[in-house]
Amino acid sequence: MKAMLQKIRKEAASVLASGEADLVLGWGKGPLWWQSYPAFIEEEKETGSLTWDPFCVPNLSKYLLEELWVKQKVALFLKGCDALGFNQLLQDKRVDREKVLIFGIPCSGLIDPQKVERAGLHQGLHSVEHQGGELVFSYKDDQKKEDPSSFYYDKCLTCRHPNPVVFDMMLGDAVAVNPQERFAAVGELEKQDVSERYRYWERQFSRCIRCFACRNVCPACSCRECIFDLTDPRWLGKANVLSENQFYHITRAFHMAGRCVDCGECARVCPVDIPLTSLNRKLIKDLNELYGEYDAGVEPEKEPPLITFNPGDPAAFLES
Amino acid sequence: MRRIGVFVCWCGTNIGATVDLETVMEKARQMPGVVFAGDNKYMCSEIGQTLIRDTIVQERLDRVVVASCSPRMHELTFRKTAAAAGLNPYLVEIANIREHCSWVHKDKAEATQKAISLVRTAVAKAARNKPLQADQFAVTHRALVIGAGIAGIQAALDIGETGFEVDLVERTPSIGGRMAQLDKTFPTLDCSACILTPKMVDVAVHPKINLYTYSEIEAVEGYVGNFEVTLRQKARSIDKEKCTGCGICYEKCPSKVDGEFEEGMSKRKAIYVPFPQAVPNVPVIDRENCRWFTKEKCGVCKKVCPADAVDFEQSDQLIKQKYGAIVVATGFDLVDLDEFGEFGYGKHPDIITSMEFERLVNASGPTGGKLLRPSNQEPPRNVVFIHCVGSRDKSRGKPYCSKICCMYTAKHAILLKEKYPKSQAYVFYIDVRTAGKEFEEFHRRAVEEYGAAYLRGIVGKVFPSGDKLLVNGVDTLSNQTVELEADLVVLATAITPRRDAAALGRMLGIGTDGHNYFVEAHPKLRPVESHTAGIFLAGTCQGPRDIPETVAQAGGAAAKAIALLSKETLLSDPCVSNVNESLCTGCLACLPVCPYKAISEKTITEKVHGQERRRLVAEINNALCQGCGACSTACRPGAMNLLGFTNEQLLAEVDAICL
Ligand SMILES: Cc1cc2nc3c(=O)[nH]c(=O)nc-3n(C[C@H](O)[C@H](O)[C@H](O)COP(=O)(O)OP(=O)(O)OC[C@H]3O[C@@H](n4cnc5c(N)ncnc54)[C@H](O)[C@@H]3O)c2cc1C
Ligand code: SF4
Ligand code: SF4
Ligand code: SF4
Ligand code: SF4
Ligand code: SF4
Repeated sequence: MKAMLQKIRKEAASVLASGEADLVLGWGKGPLWWQSYPAFIEEEKETGSLTWDPFCVPNLSKYLLEELWVKQKVALFLKGCDALGFNQLLQDKRVDREKVLIFGIPCSGLIDPQKVERAGLHQGLHSVEHQGGELVFSYKDDQKKEDPSSFYYDKCLTCRHPNPVVFDMMLGDAVAVNPQERFAAVGELEKQDVSERYRYWERQFSRCIRCFACRNVCPACSCRECIFDLTDPRWLGKANVLSENQFYHITRAFHMAGRCVDCGECARVCPVDIPLTSLNRKLIKDLNELYGEYDAGVEPEKEPPLITFNPGDPAAFLES
Repeated sequence: MRRIGVFVCWCGTNIGATVDLETVMEKARQMPGVVFAGDNKYMCSEIGQTLIRDTIVQERLDRVVVASCSPRMHELTFRKTAAAAGLNPYLVEIANIREHCSWVHKDKAEATQKAISLVRTAVAKAARNKPLQADQFAVTHRALVIGAGIAGIQAALDIGETGFEVDLVERTPSIGGRMAQLDKTFPTLDCSACILTPKMVDVAVHPKINLYTYSEIEAVEGYVGNFEVTLRQKARSIDKEKCTGCGICYEKCPSKVDGEFEEGMSKRKAIYVPFPQAVPNVPVIDRENCRWFTKEKCGVCKKVCPADAVDFEQSDQLIKQKYGAIVVATGFDLVDLDEFGEFGYGKHPDIITSMEFERLVNASGPTGGKLLRPSNQEPPRNVVFIHCVGSRDKSRGKPYCSKICCMYTAKHAILLKEKYPKSQAYVFYIDVRTAGKEFEEFHRRAVEEYGAAYLRGIVGKVFPSGDKLLVNGVDTLSNQTVELEADLVVLATAITPRRDAAALGRMLGIGTDGHNYFVEAHPKLRPVESHTAGIFLAGTCQGPRDIPETVAQAGGAAAKAIALLSKETLLSDPCVSNVNESLCTGCLACLPVCPYKAISEKTITEKVHGQERRRLVAEINNALCQGCGACSTACRPGAMNLLGFTNEQLLAEVDAICL
């Protein structure tokens, strides 16, 4: 953990000093133990404020959308899931690879503050870090060591690409990959009959407050102006009713079909715990079954299934 | 506020009997923007159209809704009507209350409610219709005909006769197609070659027809009036100018392979002319089987050719050409019989297809016209013909009727008896279908004069027994099993489009149905047009048919092509896609989904906070765009908008229909 932090600060300082990049995107520490926020560093002397701890979860790549207009070259740090999102932006032609310098961080999983709280470990907590195979919780004059496995984010438990798939320089050794089965929850839902499933999603979507955090954080949602923000025509009504919530989610899910990199960010940021991962994974699973395995974000040059025409594609509607 | 007029059509009783049109009009008058609602028994009639024209003027209408039949029937009619009264034709909307309503409902109250809803939808859309202007563009006065069977030959001749240049492209080394393989033709029994060969020669000498044999379509771009096609003329390895057609080369060539023209029943050489009357009468080297090309030795043909015409160095030529119109005439194949094990095809030489039968009775065929059993070269005595092999068979074959088999089997029965008066034909059939001029008479002749025995029933199995074949079947009229001993079994094999028809269709941007037949624009009213403007269909590539029908359709396709080529300019359809550049992210998801290659990328420059920014956006070529709308569904932020069907219009329709 410490070693990685040193590398991060060293590389950041070096690219800014040499002028190789005029902006570094990393993470900085907020006042509370769980707060690790995106940091925009333009001066070598500020690089000491960069942090690396188990809460550096935000994907920094979406900031490129704006920053690349004003900067010559931007250096940034990407974890495994972040790199997938970056590749999606690349595929959507939203970032110029030439103007980006990527430091890859192999990631052994980040810690969900809610799980820490639920375990009652948060009172007076100062910081949390990985040490060896353990998670060390530091208090004013005390330390506790725990097995990290029960504190990882859900999305980290099923992560299939903890080692970044795109980078200019890798900052550490590759970590082991052993994800849990990611379609398990989808499989359970598929067992329900249609009306049961419909009610399940009704219950989920009725909680949505349409804060649009899921969209805003999503690396596959990089439109200049999202259709849900348009007023002419107004696709999405403003009334706080279930049908508009459903319309939003179904439409967005379809916009994600074949493009969602399964980074889990949408579900992570949702303030009302809507299981968006299941929605996205259902589409991933269906597309895999219909058009063959496709892993969005891994090979951005590969044509995504829904905008490719293959003579062998299933066309059940044509076969009379 | 809009001034919308709603015109409700009774369509005789087609609509009027099922929908309460008084109520529809009364409700229409209350819809936003509607200032007039009127009706007529037949709105498309002169009186109906006059009503529309006069009302537009008197009521100063700025939008028109016609509640009638499908827009595919009369949208154009009513657009013209509106234009005649000075209204932009694209301000007319159709509410389809016939196909979408009166024809599919019985309950008058419900149908009336639905008709009102459909009118409300059309009114909501019409209110958002914008005037659209069609562009003019020039037409290239040259036609392309793909496939030189009888269909392609006829179409090329008809077009060429009017003085337009025609390029006729044929994949195989000679023109002629399937008809060249046939012996006699039903129902008149004239010799196929005798009526086809003169036409083939006409093509060869026609000053306006340019023949590209041994050639294929490589790429198609462009649009009606201005298609841009790349042809690949495969290397023939013979200099056409020097070759005198003497034939020494293929006499001497040592490499033998199964001949396609003879359906594999005799050998041809690696250098060959597919059949004696081939046009052009110039050999071709099949490089896959030529020893020079496979083993780099031999070269006998080159040594013996007195004209020094053999050219091993020839290479494929790519030719780019512009065309105003295209006629597709790629014909048919026979279905694969692998699935039909019970008939034993391929397991015994005396079990043959009807096409093989044609070659066996043909004077230029492998037996010189003597019908002999392939197994022992003896004349057959009992011949069993089996109808519908692969046709009308939903589970393993094709659900459709191949249409020609009943007739050619009757022909075969007659030819058999004429060759061997002591022979006996047995025909297993499901139904005998003889709808056609002189067809029933012909069939009756086969039965009454030529003694063909027709057995209604199904064959369960054909298997060898000694030097004969045993045919087991059921006579479904007497409900008895029958076992026949046969010397020859002839399978009336179902026809299908060419195996690569769908691929060609994709290249041309024309649709194929579930069986890969090319789809006509309207099954009744536009049978020779494809859905893509400027591309016409002729012959068996569109559906099963015989020679007279093929020739008639080819003439029809030619007439359509001629009508198009005769125009100096065409008007484009203004219902094309439109990019909202401020929304477009330049992701280009739209680009690969466009079937007409109408989308490209471009870089635009814009000023943001005083800074110049260059970014990618999509761009539409209006002339190429066919308004299919694929791009607008692919575009997530809604930057692609199809004029005439804009997002605004569609949403207004959805709102109106859900009301
Ligand atoms: C056994 C049998 C007996 C028959 N007997 C009779 C009869 O007695 N009387 C009658 O009226 N009808 C008869 N018919 C039907 C008749 O053969 C057809 O109606 C007719 O030949 C159809 O002509 P066509 O031009 O549509 O197709 P085809 O003859 O198949 O011609 C198509 C041509 O296009 C070429 N081609 C295909 N694809 C391409 C491509 N991609 N690029 C370039 N060229 C291409 C092919 O090589 C071919 O030369 C018989 C059919 C069969 C099977
Ligand atoms: S939809 Fe969710 S999981 Fe998928 S890419 Fe977007 S944020 Fe990640
Ligand atoms: S929801 Fe759709 S339109 Fe909105 S940003 Fe995401 S992809 Fe774009
Ligand atoms: S983050 Fe959650 S609450 Fe917010 S819009 Fe998305 S699903 Fe709804
Ligand atoms: S029009 Fe839409 S799909 Fe096409 S490039 Fe622009 S945003 Fe992408
Ligand atoms: S509507 Fe779009 S996809 Fe269809 S032809 Fe036009 S540009 Fe191509």
